[in-house]
Amino acid sequence: MVNALEEIGDAISDEFAISLAVSALVLGLFVSYLIWRVTHRLFEWTGLDSTVEGTTFERAAGRFGTSTAGVVGLLFAVSAYAVILLFALNLVRVAEASGFWSGVARLMPQLVVAIVAIIVGVILGDKSRLVVQERLRSVKLPEAAVIPELVKYSIYYIAALVALAQVGVATTALLVLLAAYAFGVVVLAAVAFQDLLAAGAAGVYLLLNEPYSIGDEVRIDDRHGIVQEMTMFATHIEDNGEEYIVPNQQVLRSGVVRVRN
Amino acid sequence: MSGTQAVAEEFLEGADAVLVFTTDGSTYGRFEGEDRPVVVVATENAVGADTFVALPLEFDSTTDRVRFGIEGALDDGIVGEGDDVVGFTQTFDESRLDTIVRVRADEFTRTGLYDLFVNSRADAQVIRDVFDVVIELGKKGQKGKPVGALFVVGDAGKVMNKSRPLSYNPFEKSHVDVGDPIVNVMLKEFSRLDGAFVISDGGKIVSAYRYLEPGASGVDIPKGLGTRHMAGGAITRDTNAVAIVLSESDGMVRAFKAGELILELDPEAY
Repeated sequence: MVNALEEIGDAISDEFAISLAVSALVLGLFVSYLIWRVTHRLFEWTGLDSTVEGTTFERAAGRFGTSTAGVVGLLFAVSAYAVILLFALNLVRVAEASGFWSGVARLMPQLVVAIVAIIVGVILGDKSRLVVQERLRSVKLPEAAVIPELVKYSIYYIAALVALAQVGVATTALLVLLAAYAFGVVVLAAVAFQDLLAAGAAGVYLLLNEPYSIGDEVRIDDRHGIVQEMTMFATHIEDNGEEYIVPNQQVLRSGVVRVRN
Repeated sequence: MSGTQAVAEEFLEGADAVLVFTTDGSTYGRFEGEDRPVVVVATENAVGADTFVALPLEFDSTTDRVRFGIEGALDDGIVGEGDDVVGFTQTFDESRLDTIVRVRADEFTRTGLYDLFVNSRADAQVIRDVFDVVIELGKKGQKGKPVGALFVVGDAGKVMNKSRPLSYNPFEKSHVDVGDPIVNVMLKEFSRLDGAFVISDGGKIVSAYRYLEPGASGVDIPKGLGTRHMAGGAITRDTNAVAIVLSESDGMVRAFKAGELILELDPEAY
């Protein structure tokens, strides 16, 4: 692209180049403003405005008298203007097309993507923390407070990784670390949720087909009684004031005897 | 003026506990430093108080609200039987405290109002949801005409065994919970169904069109209430369920537990 610009610069006269550059600068101002506005509108339309509300990033932006939409819009507008400025400088050959400036031009999109990745990561991490925290609110365990933080920093880590990879920093070591971490989480989850998954899968079948329903008299293994409740994970059977809570995979494995008389 | 002041001071003197009916943090903050136990009674513990009694409904009647608060405090052991309790609550205003009441905790017979929500088989939230549905149904009716309904909540297995279907069950394999948003959409259909609704401990709508067959002997409900109330009252005596009945004739919502009328509400007031 830069070479093509140079050729254009060679082909046209100096006066024309200068006037073209000036008009490009003026037009760029307008285009940047337009981009800024469109970003704001886009945030409103897609409901991103309400999504980012309450996150730390939004509050930090608010302290500087702007908002997330403002920061992202400004970023886009400034980068767009920088590209146009570069174009104009090339046109009048103030800056040499090769060397430093062409490097900047090549790095520009990557830098913008990296910054956007960081902003998205920060907002997403914060939002996820809030969501997880809300879900765990009824769990009054001090240990449970670690989980939302863990989720937040995991997302921060991934966002940072994406940003670093964008600007071309070697991230192999960090990537290996992430892989090890993800592997650990998956294995741990698989082991921990083994029974729950089995019960859930059995529960889906039982709830869809209802081989027995609430009010039926059933016998599972040696437990005999009236079905009081069926959930995704367990079946509650009551008999003379004793309520058995039978995990659904056990119901499926040992079968159910429906008592009819 | 000083006479009034003296009366007011005398009124507050010697009380053993203070009930505050508020969700407002700054209102609660003004009670800080009180040496008597301060119990917050509200639908949610928005102020983060240590002693808190959860109101299941926005009781419209001050009496019901105070009564529920005291029964809750008694049950939690914050207030003793012979204690004097001062309550700061609302009578006219929705949110601002405008009423001070003083009662002895054992001044009235315990109606089991607190018991109805907290110590029933079904979850308190489920009973709350059923109340919401019934109140909504009472307000709307069908095409402006009053409708009746009977919800039997909790101990669904036993209730199902003490009842028979009037028609095929529209809720078979449907897995609808009373708290689900879809229930609001289905409200209009509800009023068309005859018989009782059976709801499980966890809030699942097990069946509609149930004809209840409890033994009605020994059920003590006020005279003048119809067969629907009788059936509802009787089933709660035979099982551990709670019955919530919307009356077609006077539009009132009534709750039964263990065969007794516990609560009477006017849906129009909500």
